Amino acid sequence: MANTLGYGGMTNHLGDMQNSKVILIMGANPAVNHPVGMQHILKGKENGAKIISIDPRYTKTSAHADLFARIRTGTDIAFLYGMIRYIVKNNLHDKQYLDERVFDWESIVVEAEQYTPDVVANVCGCTAEKFLEVVKLFAENSPGCLIWNQGWTQHTIGTSNTRLGPIMQMFLGNIGKVGGGCNILRGHDNVQGASDMANLSDILPGYYPINEGSWKYYSGQWQVDYEWLKGRFKTKDMMEKKGFSLSTWPWGVIDDENAANNAGTPLKALICIGNGISTITMTHKTKEALDKLDLVVFIDPYVNDAAVITDRTDNMFLLPAASQVESSGSVAATNRSYQWRSQVVKPLYEAKEDHDILFEFAKRLGFYEEFTRSLKNGKPSYEWPEDATREFNRAIKTIGLQGVTPERMKRQQENWALFDPLTLKGSGVVEGEYYGLPWPCWSDKHPGSPIMYRTDVSVMEGGMGFRAGWTDKGPDGKPVVVAEKNGQTLLALNEPAGSRFKGGHLEITADNIESFGITLTAEEKEKVKGKNWKNDNTYILVNKALEAGLCPYGNGKARARAWDWADQLPKHREPLHSFRQDLVAKYPTFEDKKDHYRTNIRYASEQNKQKWVEDFPINVVTGRIVEHMGTGTETRASKYLAELAGEMYAQIHPTLAKKYGIDDGDMIWVYGTGEGKIKVKARYSHSVAETDIFLPQNFSGLWSGKSLVDKYPKGTAPYALGENSNQITSYGYDIVTSCPETKCTLARIEKA
Amino acid sequence: MSRMKFYCDDYRCIDCNGCVVACKEAHEIPVGVNRRRVITINEGIEGKQKSLSVACMHCSDAPCQKVCPTDCFYIRTDGIVLHDKDKCIGCGYCLYACPFGAPQFGHEGIFGVKGVMDKCTFCAGGPDETLSESEFEHYGQNRIAEGKIPMCASMCSTKALIAGDASEVDKIYEYRMAKRGDTTSLKPYGWEAYNNGK
Repeated sequence: MANTLGYGGMTNHLGDMQNSKVILIMGANPAVNHPVGMQHILKGKENGAKIISIDPRYTKTSAHADLFARIRTGTDIAFLYGMIRYIVKNNLHDKQYLDERVFDWESIVVEAEQYTPDVVANVCGCTAEKFLEVVKLFAENSPGCLIWNQGWTQHTIGTSNTRLGPIMQMFLGNIGKVGGGCNILRGHDNVQGASDMANLSDILPGYYPINEGSWKYYSGQWQVDYEWLKGRFKTKDMMEKKGFSLSTWPWGVIDDENAANNAGTPLKALICIGNGISTITMTHKTKEALDKLDLVVFIDPYVNDAAVITDRTDNMFLLPAASQVESSGSVAATNRSYQWRSQVVKPLYEAKEDHDILFEFAKRLGFYEEFTRSLKNGKPSYEWPEDATREFNRAIKTIGLQGVTPERMKRQQENWALFDPLTLKGSGVVEGEYYGLPWPCWSDKHPGSPIMYRTDVSVMEGGMGFRAGWTDKGPDGKPVVVAEKNGQTLLALNEPAGSRFKGGHLEITADNIESFGITLTAEEKEKVKGKNWKNDNTYILVNKALEAGLCPYGNGKARARAWDWADQLPKHREPLHSFRQDLVAKYPTFEDKKDHYRTNIRYASEQNKQKWVEDFPINVVTGRIVEHMGTGTETRASKYLAELAGEMYAQIHPTLAKKYGIDDGDMIWVYGTGEGKIKVKARYSHSVAETDIFLPQNFSGLWSGKSLVDKYPKGTAPYALGENSNQITSYGYDIVTSCPETKCTLARIEKA
Repeated sequence: MSRMKFYCDDYRCIDCNGCVVACKEAHEIPVGVNRRRVITINEGIEGKQKSLSVACMHCSDAPCQKVCPTDCFYIRTDGIVLHDKDKCIGCGYCLYACPFGAPQFGHEGIFGVKGVMDKCTFCAGGPDETLSESEFEHYGQNRIAEGKIPMCASMCSTKALIAGDASEVDKIYEYRMAKRGDTTSLKPYGWEAYNNGK
């Protein structure tokens, strides 16, 4: 999404769904994954919105929809192109919006041409009539909001899903609109904050790319010498290279060929802090990697289930971390809102807060002074967590965290009642602020931006165009400044309300700011020399732009074509393990990709290795259940949640069960396309298709029929144990992000 | 004052079990005893799946009270139906009389015998001294005495479950019904309500 609109954040907010006339939910199950968010969807429904649920399963969300369409896993792109085709053919698209704000949308129309209702029906497995019912209901009601979640991202083509969704929305003019937008519902607490703070291996905090310029910028922010920082890495190349990702790291341990991508050595140690790594596909490979590493450390309030999955007997450490009620600071909600959290109790027993554990590491590794220098920022000591917040206020200019100060967040925390849930507008002492100061919040005078890309309000009211500038080079190979295609430039043809400069413009730099009718004094010019909006520590460029009603990042077009990507336009590609072998030739996957997050990833060679579906004829869908979170490390240790959902199972349609002679409650073996197998209870359900089984992803502690309960340290085993579904999920990773393919898996089953 | 009532809006209930866990955590109820449950019918059947949260409905004309041989039930002036665990003999008559399956009998103990009955108190404690330790131990929290609504309703993620003064509950119900137009069933709790798709 960031590569289409400019930012990867959810565009609108939860309360805003009450303003929608139609809500399309694809690849998401908010009734289970976001129960409180579901309240707003249901209120929207009471306000007259139509709810559409498109899913391989009839979920708890589908049960509240006005219209449900069942599609095969991994076919969303065909469905979306079919929608775009229908929208354009029936002249339901917003041509003015597209012309003014979307680069190369015409190519999408050409690509969509092949996806007739019959093709959609064939690829997706729903009827053409049902498809047409969906597209009519969605396109003929405005504004419409689009919701998705991991059902879109965890695919080899996940990033194509998340590009085509917003593109479809732009055909209807639904982005930058109250009641519209792309609302990606993050699955748990502070996911947005974790990615803002760069808990990722391909960026620095605030999505600064990992190149020399950004490292130099951050060495300034952290008040450490760039050469010293560089010296911490084996080579400069490694410093600027994407690391292993959460899904690819096991291959860095067990596949020697990947050592070449990793400065000549396989991975030797793992520190896992607050992550349920068995929610990643192919747990049997995770186990193999854990067994082989020299050192493994888990930092968690509970015993991480991966610690009992491994057979290692030495050099594994469990460090008890404090829980959320034992710590404090800011957390970012799904809609980019930052909220302040207070400590309820001091950490119990020997548990420590995460940052304290990391500080202890820094002390022992010998760089505590450097690590905390910018927290002190010239003072003799630092105040936690306020000074950490102030550090990111100073450093993260890209997504506008300047205005998200501890003082403002604390004042908001004390005045919740003064905010309107529909608009997030504050009153009284918090007048002039939106709740949570949703980023971008450009300064301590800026209210935050509850709905992104609105041009009907001014920048100082949260308005903005799309971000200008994507890559160093445009599609014509020229610097992006002059990039154009068929006479279209990358700059928008409209502007946010109140902008003193008419039309699109590039990001604000010291060199170009005066060309937008803004004047700087000689002194100001000297201060900002050579700087731009995202590295100017004086804030002069940002503040001057705001005064003139200009968005600091520019005013560009969204891009329908990502010219620097493997698929410039999103394309339907069959999963590596496709349930429809007959469609593989027509919609083949990508070529194998070397050095993808330091791992050589198989695409075509895996897809063509065998006719998978012949040996593995069952389509597997995995997902969350409402009682448990992630691997259930925390929730399965709750006796009440374990009572409600204490057992792993496979939902199976009675018709499919009959074929295998499986009764409701029988134990079955499920064999994955890898080496993994699990023994689970069959549970009859009409919610799954007759071709599919559904597996909850939240269990662990049983391993291919064997209990691992004895491996837990005494008194720490959770109440509920179950087979881990990812033992049988298939190989496959997103072509851009390396997100694991959890949603398209084939398996075979037999009665146990 | 009118009576205190629960209402579960089946158009809002998403079967998240938040009410169940809120209740259990609030009153420290043993596993196996369910003062509140969420029932889902027609799971996976398109257009027919419905969920509803059920507990003691605090009936005006409570069948449990009618059949109790030790007369351990009493109905407060605000309509909350409570019982005295010191008088209860655990016979189970109330369970057979109750149309909602509200009375709960723990299965703990050396012979697995039924203990005394436990049920939803509308978070109003019991006959022991208000807000005393003994009241908490026997009946759980007394949130009503603290001026709060029951824990289940206060934690409901979609505000499907509403609790409080019946006239206030009725206002919310009417407001939602008016907003939904003809989509609200005229017979929200009847089985036939689902047969005609309403």
